[in-house]
Amino acid sequence: LSVAPGPRRIRIWDLPTRLFHWAIVLLIPALWWTHQIDRLDLHLILGEIMLGLILFRIFWGLFGSSTARFLGFVRGPAAVLRYLRGKGEAAPGHNPIGGWNVMVMLLLIATEIGLGLFVSDEDGLNEGPLAHLISYDSARILAHRHETLFYILLGFIALHIAAILFYAIVKRDNLVVPLVTGSRPGEGEGMRPAPLWRFLAAAGLAVALTLWIALIL
Amino acid sequence: VKELVLAAAAIVGLVGVAFAQSAPQIIQTRQANYKQMGAAMKGINEQIRADAPDVAITRRNSAVLLHFAPQVLTWFPRGTGPEAGVRTRALPQIWTDRAGFRRAGALLLVAARNLDAAARSGDIARIRAAAPQVSHACSNCHDSYRAEEH
Repeated sequence: LSVAPGPRRIRIWDLPTRLFHWAIVLLIPALWWTHQIDRLDLHLILGEIMLGLILFRIFWGLFGSSTARFLGFVRGPAAVLRYLRGKGEAAPGHNPIGGWNVMVMLLLIATEIGLGLFVSDEDGLNEGPLAHLISYDSARILAHRHETLFYILLGFIALHIAAILFYAIVKRDNLVVPLVTGSRPGEGEGMRPAPLWRFLAAAGLAVALTLWIALIL
Repeated sequence: VKELVLAAAAIVGLVGVAFAQSAPQIIQTRQANYKQMGAAMKGINEQIRADAPDVAITRRNSAVLLHFAPQVLTWFPRGTGPEAGVRTRALPQIWTDRAGFRRAGALLLVAARNLDAAARSGDIARIRAAAPQVSHACSNCHDSYRAEEH
């Protein structure tokens, strides 16, 4: 009795990148909900956790595993067009459109968090960790920007989910499972993982910066 | 007699001014005043969260609150609710539950007086104990008598 060899799999996403993604998926509704029920104390704590995660992802994009690095997946318009015409070269990780999806999402969430740092509620009871640096009127203007940007972010999340459905249904390419397991069927070279010390450096820097913003500034 | 005439004239004058103000004007003034109170609360809450609170800033802001706190109940004459036709989050309960609204206003006045006394004493522990009472009085009233922002 011989066991048929299964399809070959290659690793494409490391654990920190996967955990980061799913933490964001949980945090965004939690942040929305804590605001809805007026638990701004919890909203603030979750926002600070989000800040730490975003900072981590930025460091991980600079010196993390090969598929997490910005320089690896941010491609110019020529590569994007080639990919759209179906002539893109296969490589583990984000395709040229997916890479820009990551950059836009990161930029939106980072801006949303950046605004949140300076926001005050209208009664002056709760505020972001840096709102003491600006006036009430400024903090209120930023509160409205914080709200508007959330709806823009929601729009991009809808687009993001629509794209995942398009890949699943039209292109028969399941993008969600690899983001859970870390690997997908494929041949050739996979992700080049980063050593543990780089993860510790990125996490340490992110935690230190977050604590500095949240507690000291 | 002269004083009496002057006092009567002053009362007539004040009533006249009150009636001269239209409902939208009253609502606008009310909202501007509440914004000043919000800004004062921001200033106070930042100080009590700081490692070394600035008593002078706290005192300046507690004086703003004490200035407005006794007036709050007068900012809601009949006709300045949602029926005024301008954007206001004042709920009809302000006028249907007059007693409850007055209690909420009284709670604010007591809390604002305590906070101002604490700020003037310069005792940071007292300030830290008194400020949350004002925050509570704000939320207590807003929970029942102010509509959500959206």
